[in-house]
Amino acid sequence: MTEAPAAAALATAPPARPPGMWRQGWQRFRRNRTGMLGLTLVCIVVLVALSCAWIAPYEPNDQSAMMRFGSREGPTWAHLFGTDRMGYDVLTRVLYGAPTALAVGIGAMLVASVIGILIGGISGYLGGMADELLMRFTEFFLVIPVFIVILAVVRLFGIVVVGSPLESIPYLNLMTIILLLGLFGWPSIARMTRAEFLRLKEMEFVEAARCIGATRRDIILRHILPNALPSLVVIVALGIGGAILAEAMISFLGFGDPKAISWGQLLFFNYEALKVAPWASIAPGSAIFMTVLGFNLLADGLSDAFNPRLKQ
Amino acid sequence: MTADVVPAGERDLIRVEHLRKLYPVRRRGVFRSRQTGEIRAVDDISFTIRRGETLGLVGESGCGKTTTARAMLHLIEPTSGSAFFGDVDVLEVFAEGRREDTLKIRRRMQYVFQDPYLSLNPRWTIAQTLLEPFRVHRHVPEADWHRRLVELLHLVGLEEYHAWRYPHEFSGGQRQRVGIARALAVEPEFVICDEPVSSLDVSVRAQILNLLVELQAKLRLTYLYISHDLSSVRFVSNRVAVMYLGKIVEMAAVDELFSHPMHHYSYALLTAIPVPDPDVPAGRSVLVGEVPSAMRIPQGCRFHPRCPAATEVCRTVEPPLAPAGGDRLLACHHPR
Repeated sequence: MTEAPAAAALATAPPARPPGMWRQGWQRFRRNRTGMLGLTLVCIVVLVALSCAWIAPYEPNDQSAMMRFGSREGPTWAHLFGTDRMGYDVLTRVLYGAPTALAVGIGAMLVASVIGILIGGISGYLGGMADELLMRFTEFFLVIPVFIVILAVVRLFGIVVVGSPLESIPYLNLMTIILLLGLFGWPSIARMTRAEFLRLKEMEFVEAARCIGATRRDIILRHILPNALPSLVVIVALGIGGAILAEAMISFLGFGDPKAISWGQLLFFNYEALKVAPWASIAPGSAIFMTVLGFNLLADGLSDAFNPRLKQ
Repeated sequence: MTADVVPAGERDLIRVEHLRKLYPVRRRGVFRSRQTGEIRAVDDISFTIRRGETLGLVGESGCGKTTTARAMLHLIEPTSGSAFFGDVDVLEVFAEGRREDTLKIRRRMQYVFQDPYLSLNPRWTIAQTLLEPFRVHRHVPEADWHRRLVELLHLVGLEEYHAWRYPHEFSGGQRQRVGIARALAVEPEFVICDEPVSSLDVSVRAQILNLLVELQAKLRLTYLYISHDLSSVRFVSNRVAVMYLGKIVEMAAVDELFSHPMHHYSYALLTAIPVPDPDVPAGRSVLVGEVPSAMRIPQGCRFHPRCPAATEVCRTVEPPLAPAGGDRLLACHHPR
């Protein structure tokens, strides 16, 4: 697109590039303590998710502790966070829960972003009747009791799938949950996108592009959308935390994927033994808390960093 | 109010005829909206711009100056009327929407926006902004883009290293230079300058105005210069059109208009210019009252409720814009 020829034309560009919008935002973000705390927490979760296969002390399905009558064993050097009622090492299971949580959060928000930006963008750019209809449609999705729908669909789908070739797909249940969270998570993104498009399409630089003769596609993709991104990044970061929490709740109720290791599921397996083996519940609970807190603080810091009114 | 009022000729580059822009006012009901009135932002105006001249368009805020300009370039869709560029009715071409034809027009007519803080994409470097016209029109081979880019920057008084900066690193004056460079990138013949200096510091206004005048001489440009600032209009314009409530009330050569305004509204505007001399008595505004709403335009001459010379005929008959000696067009029953 432009970047390639522009870069070719500007082969003599000086090495020191001045700060753009993102870099400016980063400079403001760096001074924001809570935002940096959120980023740190998120980074920890991401690192754990990427490296859990190497740093975890045991195999995730290793129940050998049972052989030594070591289920519900308190923290020892061999099992830092203790073992749970089925003899799993709690630390290992918690570490292996990180990739699941991130997959749920990011996957669901990816689905939600695609739908939300598409619907919000069309609605905001076209306006008029299309806007009316799409926004009523969005509001319809906002009032549906999402949680009950997801529980019902997960259970029904789980029954329908038995005996069909779909059954052999690994993590099918988890993917269903991700897809459903995405399918119900887009209204807030759509509304934000619409608001940004409404604001930006009247801006003079968009008119200037029309005046030059830029195509509608160029105007939307190269002028309006990049300028709407900072607000969308904030709402997506918030949504990731929300999706992780929602998946934990679904798993806690026993509707999760039995093959995937998720924090909510660990709670579901161990909450009955809360008094006997509190470590088995506290560890995954804290992991959920830290991760969701991290994403919320990150979103908060991002919204401050991209807020032009706080520009120094 | 017909074409004979507006003499067409070889020297005319732009001929606007009966341009109207109405905004419907709707009251929203539960199920459907009802039109309860309309705002006549631009109400049947006609004018010509000669090749190589600058036509100044003045008037109060909200009188329809910017609407006129934007309608001419189809940035907003006019309700009716035509705008000829040479023999081509550009509004018809825009309405048909054939891309090659509209691009041809976009190459010949350009627009300098009012607020350079809003008219540059904040995420694009100046180079990206200035290369967009090349990318759209492909009128310069790609190998020459860099050379043309540097030429453009020099043309408006910027340096090559400015190309890699972002708009927020520039002052208002420099940004407006970029805005002018973008308009000139397609090598247009006609440029609409929509209050190009009104959002700038007073200290840099003169620089930008001088730049516009220089560029006009160098590139043989024709300008439509829109402003509410009469002193800048006097500086850049050859002829001036005065607009009131969506209509042109007087149009004359700049010296004639400024030395002897014949319409009472033009006179009131001119006396409102502050003179930086304590010995000159402050011009008393002859205007009473407020500009009426464009939703409720007065009967007859639309200026009569505020006009000191209004009589019965002004209340009932709308004066046409008619020749009034020399090059002047005037719409008044009782000229000064």
